Amino acid sequence: MTSTTSPKIGARRPSPAPLPGNPRKRGGRPSGLPWILPAFVFVVGLIYFCIVETGYISTLDWDGTSPTPTSVGLDNYTAILQDPIFWKAIWHTVVFFVVTFTVQTAIGFVFAALLHSKVRLGAVYKVLVFAPVVLAPATMAPVFRQMFAADGQLNWTLDHIGLGFLSQPWLAQSTTAMPVIMFITVWQFTGLTFVLYYAAMGQIDPETLEAARTDGASNLRVLRSIVWPGVRSTTVALAMLGVIGALKTFDVPYLVTIGGPNYSTEFLGTYIYRISIPSAHVGYGAALSILLLILALLGAIVVATRANRKDGESSV
Amino acid sequence: MLGSSRIWKRRLPGAAAVFTAAALALAGCAGGSTTETTDKGSADSGNITWWGWTPDAAPAEAYIKEFSKAYPKIKVTYKKLTIDGYDAAIRPALASSVGPDVFDVAPGAANGSVGIYGVNAIDLTPAVEKSLGADWKSKLAPIGVNSLTKDGKLAALSVGSNYAGSVWVNQDLFDKYGLKPPTNYDEWKSVCAAFKTNGVKCFVQGAAQTAFNEDTLQAISNNVKPGVWAQALDKKVPWTDPTIVQALGIWKKLFDDKIMQDGALGVQQYPDANNDFMSGKAAMVMMGTWYMQYSTVDGSTAAISGAGVASPKPFTQLPIAFPDVAGTGNVGSLYGDADFGLAVNKKSKSIAAATTFATWLGTSQAGQQAVGDILNDIPALMSVQPDWASIKLVNPTAQQPALEKLISDAGKSAEPRLATVSADLQTAIGVASTTVAAGQATPEQAAATLQSTAEKIK
Repeated sequence: MTSTTSPKIGARRPSPAPLPGNPRKRGGRPSGLPWILPAFVFVVGLIYFCIVETGYISTLDWDGTSPTPTSVGLDNYTAILQDPIFWKAIWHTVVFFVVTFTVQTAIGFVFAALLHSKVRLGAVYKVLVFAPVVLAPATMAPVFRQMFAADGQLNWTLDHIGLGFLSQPWLAQSTTAMPVIMFITVWQFTGLTFVLYYAAMGQIDPETLEAARTDGASNLRVLRSIVWPGVRSTTVALAMLGVIGALKTFDVPYLVTIGGPNYSTEFLGTYIYRISIPSAHVGYGAALSILLLILALLGAIVVATRANRKDGESSV
Repeated sequence: MLGSSRIWKRRLPGAAAVFTAAALALAGCAGGSTTETTDKGSADSGNITWWGWTPDAAPAEAYIKEFSKAYPKIKVTYKKLTIDGYDAAIRPALASSVGPDVFDVAPGAANGSVGIYGVNAIDLTPAVEKSLGADWKSKLAPIGVNSLTKDGKLAALSVGSNYAGSVWVNQDLFDKYGLKPPTNYDEWKSVCAAFKTNGVKCFVQGAAQTAFNEDTLQAISNNVKPGVWAQALDKKVPWTDPTIVQALGIWKKLFDDKIMQDGALGVQQYPDANNDFMSGKAAMVMMGTWYMQYSTVDGSTAAISGAGVASPKPFTQLPIAFPDVAGTGNVGSLYGDADFGLAVNKKSKSIAAATTFATWLGTSQAGQQAVGDILNDIPALMSVQPDWASIKLVNPTAQQPALEKLISDAGKSAEPRLATVSADLQTAIGVASTTVAAGQATPEQAAATLQSTAEKIK
């Protein structure tokens, strides 16, 4: 029996012989620093420096322009924990994430599955579903404000199809303003969910699907038992993006409702803006920003950890 | 671990150097040095930029056109920002070394607060003394000088003042439906019912943009009992004063009785309420003396066009006194501040030219006449009055007497509008107004919350 030596995963590879004329540094390994220097400066300078600077500002009582800010230590953080608007914004973020992620996932998954079958004008549907993703919220906000206004198109339509009793000032009520914000978000980002699921479904082995059908599995069973687990990594990625996106939500609520009425559509992003710019409490706003960063990282870690644990369980 | 720690020890100095370099470079951008530039440039030539949320583009162009006649070698470029976006734009701009040469500031905390941005401005006292002489203070409206002085420094030159408390009506719509502008609560209610029957919105208030709610609440409060609102701002009476509680109750009634348009809490004063009025969809709006500019043919046409009307047709806009909603007979109160002042950026590379422009617009006869004739502001130079012969009003017969009375009444008022309101207090008043309107708090509860918040404000 001929024994062959195949490289083992994780085994250290032998270093290739040095090429003639190839300069080597100490230890025979080239320094990577010059190669990564531009990116390093960019990343460290623009991102991490800003985080550190924001962290420093969060310890100040400062209006953003005064040359004499006052150091207050961690007082801003203490005040935030007692701030009802902060907790309101957190609660809105949680509800917003759960609702928009669930609805977007359901619609995106179903659309992707449908458009993987032979649908007439499939390409047109794909464009229609994806088009809202590329439209800027700033462009669409006035349209939605008009549409959901008390004398807007939605109420007009309801009045003209005999559902006038459902008409209401959608953006003027705490109970309906948040659902409108969620609706706009779902409308805007379901296309992205759809595209990612569509691509992920294309990676599922057709033979597995065929085998399932040969065994008599129905469409629903195939979707539930083969396709859904097959796109699991996409779902995890979307969940992670959803958590971060929910925490960063700003443009739609700010442009459509200014976070109102009565803070009913206030998110951390809109609250940071409200506190830092119109109210000029830049130190407090910076502390909120640091908490937002921590929450975003925690959210992403929790989603990733849970996904890894499930992966581990399913592979046992 | 050991290996990685050795690598870190070897590379740490290099990485630290890169980090420090990046940090220093960025700190240079973000640090916001407030050092005044030493090179002031030429006083009668150069290019300068002016940023503001007011005036509109058309009046600004008119001012600049007049200025160019006096100083043809100074080119002024005006950048108009939105009211809500001004602070977000001006703060980093002033912290950088490439900000505007001239920028708007205003008393109070609404936007462009002189209290915040005054530190970025040069002291204009020497320039005003040169322009108007040693007794310059006697020639300018005190409301503009006092409110734009910060820490003994004249941080900006008031261009003019503005007063709120009036309601503007579309007289053509009233005439079309045979209605008369209301003078009391019952008339207001019946006028609104009549407009609603005809598919026209009656009174529009952008209650989502809460700073404007303050104007209406102050008008109601002054109608209940004059002066109490100003005393509350001055902490001389609590916000739980019966007058203010009653005012909040009347405010709520305006919503319940459909005098306010449906969905007012989801509407912004700018652009929504303004556009509704300008496009003829609404008959009444709560605006102040800054609306006088839309009485002119040019001003009205531009505003109607800006509201999205394809073929703008000017209509007769008239100011009326806020209706006697409390039935006390206390009507016609106006309250105001310096509208905006021009500040010169201490980091400008053209300080001299920028000072020339600010001084010309704020203190010269020609500049102030241009301001007076545009009707955006009541001129800061007290000797200047609008030249009615040269102003082309849409309906001079109806509008000129009304505007003259408005200007005259405003001149008699000493009650502040926003100048003494801090940002936090403004937020608290906004919350009181919207929670009462939405039925989430009674007037008593909202007033108590407002008082409790006001006590915590430094």
